Amino acid sequence: MSAPAADAQLNDPVLSVDKVSVRFETREGPVVAVDDVSFGVRQGEFLSVIGPSGCGKSTLFNVIGGLLTQHQGTVSVAGETIDGPHKSIGMVFQEESTFPWRTVTDNVAFPLELVGMAKAERVERARHFIKLVGLDGFDNRHPGELSGGMRQRVSLARTLASKPKILLMDEPFAALDEQTRLLLGDKVLQIQQEIQQTTLLITHNITEAVQMSDRILVMTYRPGRVKRIVDIDLPRPRTSEIVSSEAFGRYVAQIWADLREEASRGMREAEDQVLHHQGAES
Amino acid sequence: MADTGRLRSTAVGAPGWVSPVTLLRVVIILTFLAVWEFLSHSGWLYRDVVPSLVRIAAALVDLLTHGEYYFNLGVTAAEIGLALAIGGSLGIVVGIVLGANRFLTKAYEPYLYYLGPTPKIIFFPIIIMWCGVGPESKVALGALSCFFPLALSVAAGMRQIDKVLIRVGKSFRANSWQMVMKIYLPAMRHPLINGVRLGFGFALIGTLLAETKLSNMGIGFLIINAYSTFDMPRMYAMLIVLFVLSIGANALIGRLGGIESIKRR
Repeated sequence: MSAPAADAQLNDPVLSVDKVSVRFETREGPVVAVDDVSFGVRQGEFLSVIGPSGCGKSTLFNVIGGLLTQHQGTVSVAGETIDGPHKSIGMVFQEESTFPWRTVTDNVAFPLELVGMAKAERVERARHFIKLVGLDGFDNRHPGELSGGMRQRVSLARTLASKPKILLMDEPFAALDEQTRLLLGDKVLQIQQEIQQTTLLITHNITEAVQMSDRILVMTYRPGRVKRIVDIDLPRPRTSEIVSSEAFGRYVAQIWADLREEASRGMREAEDQVLHHQGAES
Repeated sequence: MADTGRLRSTAVGAPGWVSPVTLLRVVIILTFLAVWEFLSHSGWLYRDVVPSLVRIAAALVDLLTHGEYYFNLGVTAAEIGLALAIGGSLGIVVGIVLGANRFLTKAYEPYLYYLGPTPKIIFFPIIIMWCGVGPESKVALGALSCFFPLALSVAAGMRQIDKVLIRVGKSFRANSWQMVMKIYLPAMRHPLINGVRLGFGFALIGTLLAETKLSNMGIGFLIINAYSTFDMPRMYAMLIVLFVLSIGANALIGRLGGIESIKRR
């Protein structure tokens, strides 16, 4: 009886995560990385999952992306339960992930090549997405000739080229400097508004989350649970300038209050662990 | 353009006259030749052990103007090529399978490490019994020789592949064949080319060694034949040609790797 009710509440989510838990066996015994997490992402929505280091965000990313199948609960896309990488979910990784031996065009066309699309067609589609991320003119360059921010845009274009129903990103700007990160954020916002891409962003950056999201899911420190879901009621289209508005500041403060509790608990536990280890050794 | 770096480095290196390094290289070659010629005329060594350069040159011309040599060269080249193709592709397949699977690596890689450095020529008697004295046994020994260095370097190369690239492939649902062709092989092209280079060297050694042991055609056979009839100038001439050819082949393989490396970050 609860399932239809939940569905109605979530307004028919494209992606639904239902009671997902993940446990890892470590040398110090089992660790619950993600504990009973449930949420949905609506069509066209930009949802961010934010949490302190060690809250299991990346684990959640791998579960939703289908790269980690050892978990409890279900993840489903448009009603279809996934049990591995799904064609409707496109992943963008935190790490440098372009293929250095391929040109920008061939990088972006990679997923199209895998499904056997004809060369002319895939090159054309790659061109389109290269242009969308603002890299036109760099089509025939190799990633080695580009900056880190440009390479991350190539990764984004590559994932978008596969036309996923849901764009799933794991801290895609974490390795970049602050200015590049803000400008890239603008780019993502613009793309999101242009193609109405349903997006799930995993991040630990509050500014980034508030700037881009319709809703923000705050996670607790280990075990990772849903602490709160915050609606971000800021007007669209947005740009990085919104950062200086008063409403923006309020959201940041609100989320930081939630997050600080978790982050400091994480820090304390990490410290305790170090002390504990030292105690055990002496 | 992206090539400015290369242009600059050549501009610095070549301001119109020979660099000291090149000069030194030429000097050592000339010194070697002079000492050689001196020894050949000194009469200190038994007859033809060190024949004069003129006689070697004459033998070289004689060698290169007779069809018999080219036939045998062709036989040897075909043997080496086939050995590299068979042993090499087996080595690559085994290397990929081992590199992709931690369990198999643990189980089988020690064997590769133990068998790898063993001189494969000790298996030659068995190979002769299986494959006969013809080119087949040379191919078999050459293949056996180049299998191990290739398998080991591919297995090591597989482990060096950036894990995220593999995750990208999986997230786009690449099948095993696509993973190998579009991610594993290009991602480890440097260790792969080094492996092929090593493998080529080992195939060359294995094949020639087998030819000198027991055979009826091929360069190894000709060399050992010249040796047993004490035709030293001819033997040296053949060694020189062989030397030049193997350097050329090695440079060609290296060049294939070089083109790719320019495109790397």
